[in-house]
Amino acid sequence: MKRAKIQKIMITLVLLAIFIIVITPLLWAISMSFDRSATTSLPPFSLWPHKPSMFNYTASFKMINLMQYFKNTVIIVAINTTLAVLFSMMCGFAFAKLKFVGKKFWFIFMLAVMMVPFESRLVPLYLQYRNWKLLNTWWPLILGQFAYVYGTFFARSYIGSIPDSLAESVYIDGGSEWRVFWSVIVPLSKPIMSTLAILQIISNWNAYLWPLVVIKDYSKQMISVGVAMFNAQQESFYYGPRMAVSVMSAIPLTILYLILQKHIVASIAVSGIKQ
Amino acid sequence: MKRPKITKRIVRNQLVAYSFIIVSLITLLVLVYVPMLTTIRYSTYKVGLVGYGEKFVGWANYKMLFSQKAFWKSITNTIILAVMGLLTIPVGFILAVLINSLGRGRTQEFFRVGFYLPNIITGVSVYLIFQVVLMGSGGLLNNFLGKIVGHPVTIGWLSNPKYAKVGATILWVWMNAGYSMLINLASLQAIPTDLYEAAALDGATAFQKMLHITIPNMKACFSLLFVTGMINGLARFTDIYIISGSNTSGGAGGSLQTILMYIFQYSFETPNYGISSAGAMILFVLVFAFTMINVRLTGFLKDEV
Repeated sequence: MKRAKIQKIMITLVLLAIFIIVITPLLWAISMSFDRSATTSLPPFSLWPHKPSMFNYTASFKMINLMQYFKNTVIIVAINTTLAVLFSMMCGFAFAKLKFVGKKFWFIFMLAVMMVPFESRLVPLYLQYRNWKLLNTWWPLILGQFAYVYGTFFARSYIGSIPDSLAESVYIDGGSEWRVFWSVIVPLSKPIMSTLAILQIISNWNAYLWPLVVIKDYSKQMISVGVAMFNAQQESFYYGPRMAVSVMSAIPLTILYLILQKHIVASIAVSGIKQ
Repeated sequence: MKRPKITKRIVRNQLVAYSFIIVSLITLLVLVYVPMLTTIRYSTYKVGLVGYGEKFVGWANYKMLFSQKAFWKSITNTIILAVMGLLTIPVGFILAVLINSLGRGRTQEFFRVGFYLPNIITGVSVYLIFQVVLMGSGGLLNNFLGKIVGHPVTIGWLSNPKYAKVGATILWVWMNAGYSMLINLASLQAIPTDLYEAAALDGATAFQKMLHITIPNMKACFSLLFVTGMINGLARFTDIYIISGSNTSGGAGGSLQTILMYIFQYSFETPNYGISSAGAMILFVLVFAFTMINVRLTGFLKDEV
């Protein structure tokens, strides 16, 4: 028994050491973001700022309109997550519970999309939006969310496990399929809906390539692209402000993760989807 | 007299069912199927800058790509990087085995959540941080290595063509090991414990248990991670683009240019849509092969409707 305990402590210590190595880059970045001496040269490694100050934060607020990027990103993440979850639930319900002509065909039509990587249709999609005169607006970011294929797949198997008997009372009262959807299915599907919402929030927050391609105006840009552009424009020695901007842009997802950690880790372990 | 009423009900049921899916179907048709077919068509056309005035050129775009050294280089870069990135599987497995051996409880929960953290916050901000971590002079990694070997190390992990792929892989493993750990851990915990108990009765050592019980039971998990790792690795763009200084020609003398960065160049920097579409088709075929394996493994399409 004693040997097992010692072994456990050893393993904990090894894991702790690895964990410290893994998060050291993040801690260093935070320390540099508060370091006044990080503005002209790269300061030697230290977990505590050499000259503690808020200078990098005040300076970067003057150089980059971070609040605008935050606002744009929050709006888009909210719209996209709502749309994607709602429409994947609707499709999931239809494929799980309703009977209609061509059901199998349309289901395969949807799932086959997973075999077409986004990158391989990037150019025609871009030209299509250009012909529609929708470049440099938020529409290219939003319109794709009216179909969320992975979500449909998971919503369908979740809704499939809800017993039909619960919906019958609604049908007996003369209610329609839409009544069933809103008053039975949606209230009972909160776990899968929150899983899908979390996956959507993370992937939308980090989306980079598509906003980079379709949006040119800084005032409409997302935070991921805005921060990267800021970084590319700065003098290479301007470490402090660059780190300050990085730290600030990582805060919202970090807070979300710390609050919902168990739920997020469980969602990903179950679904196997990363983002 | 009864018949029209029944037909009316059938039609109504059909319409209601379709009202749930029609928006998504149209979206997929217009934003996935049509553009994909356009990519196939464009890859055999010379396409004018405006996206009009196309002229059929057959295989010319593909021939032009395959005759270019830079394109071959981007393909080999991408494949090498994707394969090196598979390092996340053993790393995630070892982490998962260690974490699993702690037994369920708060310590296990702490490490499970903690090691997944990099995956969540990985985004542009992390790439910017790693640009500095992997820097040749004064970077954190060289600093650390210098302490170990006892003299200053100045390897340009992102600027030296010899080491750039290693640097990019360090970033990739840092970003993705948590995901691999999580999937590994879930499968480890799904292995029936009575298998281990039976082995213990037979006097099996820890190493024998690992070799004859754990690893054979993890095959499905490893192959899933292999396939998803290849799919994500082949379409790698954002992190490399940013650590190369937002430059599509790829840092370190082009040794970090991936296929997608090459396509991006011909799409948006010096637009030649025919060539970029042919490049996109080649990427598509590569990714498609792995996606098909993935679909087989996860049984996505097997499900009866």
